[in-house]
Amino acid sequence: MNLESYLALTPEAIKILKGNGCWSRSWSKVKVTKGFDPTRIAGTIFRGEVRIGNLEGEFVPSDGIKRYAGIFDANLHNVVIGDNCHISNVNGWLSNLIIEDNVLMENVGSIVCQGETSFGNGHAIEVLNEGGGRELKITAMTSAQTAYLSTMYRHDDALIKALNQIADNYAGGVRSHRATIGEGAKLFHCQNIVNVNIGQGAILRGIQNLKEGTIASSHDAPTFVGDGVIAKDFIIQKGAHVSDGALLSSTLIGEASKIGKQFSAENSVMFCNSEGFHSEVCSIFGGPYTVTHHRSTLLIAGMFSFFNAGSGTNQSNHMYKLGPLHQGILERGSKTGSSSYLLWPSRVGAFSAIMGKHYANFDSSDFPFSYVNEDGGQSTLVPGMNFFTVGTMRDGLKWPTRDRRKNSDKLDQLNFEVLSPYTGQKMMRGQSILLELYSGAEKGQEYVSHQGILIKRLLLKTCSRYYRLALEKYLGDVLVSRLEGNPAMVLKDLTTPPEGAEDGNSTWIDVSGLLCTQPRLNNLLEQIKAGEVTTQHALQSELEMIHDSYALDEWSWVQQAIPEVYSFESITSENLMTVLEKWKVSSNKLLNMVEMDASKEFEGTVRTGFGIDGHQSEDFEKVRGTFESNSFKKQLDEMRQAVEGNYDRSLSILNKL
Amino acid sequence: MSTLDRIKNVAAELLKVDSSRVQESSRFVEDLGADSMQSIELVAAFEEEFDIEMDEDAALGVKTVGDAVGFIDKVMAEG
Repeated sequence: MNLESYLALTPEAIKILKGNGCWSRSWSKVKVTKGFDPTRIAGTIFRGEVRIGNLEGEFVPSDGIKRYAGIFDANLHNVVIGDNCHISNVNGWLSNLIIEDNVLMENVGSIVCQGETSFGNGHAIEVLNEGGGRELKITAMTSAQTAYLSTMYRHDDALIKALNQIADNYAGGVRSHRATIGEGAKLFHCQNIVNVNIGQGAILRGIQNLKEGTIASSHDAPTFVGDGVIAKDFIIQKGAHVSDGALLSSTLIGEASKIGKQFSAENSVMFCNSEGFHSEVCSIFGGPYTVTHHRSTLLIAGMFSFFNAGSGTNQSNHMYKLGPLHQGILERGSKTGSSSYLLWPSRVGAFSAIMGKHYANFDSSDFPFSYVNEDGGQSTLVPGMNFFTVGTMRDGLKWPTRDRRKNSDKLDQLNFEVLSPYTGQKMMRGQSILLELYSGAEKGQEYVSHQGILIKRLLLKTCSRYYRLALEKYLGDVLVSRLEGNPAMVLKDLTTPPEGAEDGNSTWIDVSGLLCTQPRLNNLLEQIKAGEVTTQHALQSELEMIHDSYALDEWSWVQQAIPEVYSFESITSENLMTVLEKWKVSSNKLLNMVEMDASKEFEGTVRTGFGIDGHQSEDFEKVRGTFESNSFKKQLDEMRQAVEGNYDRSLSILNKL
Repeated sequence: MSTLDRIKNVAAELLKVDSSRVQESSRFVEDLGADSMQSIELVAAFEEEFDIEMDEDAALGVKTVGDAVGFIDKVMAEG
């Protein structure tokens, strides 16, 4: 679209337009491109400055009915219309818009831009803490990581100021008196859209009311906003699907997320691949893969990622009387069982399963892979047990395969690893705490208490062994992967810290999906505060570089963890043989325990209700199949074979070191 | 006290069932009502009672009181 190359209407063109039922008080303000065909416009009112491109060609949308480029029965006010658009049946006004090429717009109400606006960019939302204090300025380029920094690093005034400035700069850059409807967008049967930028290739169908927002979209990741959606002060990122009466207020919906079925969100972010149906979220920081599907579920004032909410999940943030001050954190990979309840503030360790109602404020962040249970009204913890469940293994396998993002410029940086230096460090710390608690406990004692939660004394040693087993598995995983990646390596390659890696003793953190060392992140924060990173794009590039350093830093961590976990003085080829042997044993134990857990879904009480009038086994097997033929069981068998193969190959490499 | 009697006592106390219900043929899950959590607690309780360490996955594969007797006797014999 070249705004410089418009021409005035010829008298002949005006005559044709008038003959087609068009009207303008000032035809001189209507400009067109060379080759303009006035016969393609009918029943249209022109007001203000109107620019129209070449109207030729045709569309065949998904209903299969061909539409010709043209403007029919529309009211236009201060609009620029690109080439080859089809606009028909505009019941209200199209006002103050830039409509790019190849846009199809049919049976719409008012799509207008009123005054100067940033289209939802720079709007501050009260995320995580309803009472404020963690305001996040959302933009179309806000990633889970930038949101994490803005929300969670409030202690660093200079950083928050700089991050807000970056968001403001972005908002300033898009600030305009005209909204844009991107190239190739399609809008059908939409009612009111006010101050909304719509990205390329977006599909909007049956929208009820949108105000002050951005629908980011691209041809490789078109965004869909559908029937009955009402949204105000919002950002919807590329590839998202929002429909079916969803209500969004001061909310960001991340890339490739799916929202619908009357889901309601307020002052919340839900980053990439999240899903929200039926339920309600209020002031949540929903990291990547935050999933809530059930009508009776409320997520409020919490931080989540790789999370699945059971039906009836609820939390309270009004513990005291000064208002909704309290917040909670469920670290990555956690899930809540049906009708579970958590009293904020609490913090739940990564990959934990929460069942029952919890009225105590606890912090189990040192204990990943735990069961958080309710026992007689008290909150109890079984550390490490969830590592050996079919659920955790399946989650770890499914998340990478369910990354729906198609755009090449993905915003959220994700590490899908279940076992990582992040969980590894926590398991090492958890193991040590459990053994300390054991040595300090009396034999007759049923429970010990740690950070507000009870742990059965009897299980302290068992659970510490679970962590040991998981660590042996993880350290071996990384070693085997390293060996297989370079079969010609020499011992020095394994013992020397990798060039450019962070110190192996560095603390690892989970920046809402991005796993990295604290020093590497701190380095970025210093750059931001020093004014060396001033744009969203530059910040995004820096975060991508941190993401790219994962494998390097992971190996550095594993190099220091192996001697610590195994009490080796140094890494020798003999010691690495031990790591490999232990890896084989722990890998097979894990597979055996997961298989036992999975097999429970085929035996005993799970068959209740099958065979309503007899033939229980036959009915069950027809509906659920047999365990032996189950695809997950087959996957486990393949994993066992892979362990054997990897072990043999790795052993052969180690023997040559 | 025999291994069987010690196992019966531990199981009865932990699963809160009358010791007379705990027989050599009793299945921990189906007959004595152990859930998955209690199965893990039983392993831990046997470890404490006999001062042994049991292989995690093999121990969880033990289905009956009689199996547990054989398993624990074997672990103790292996020292």
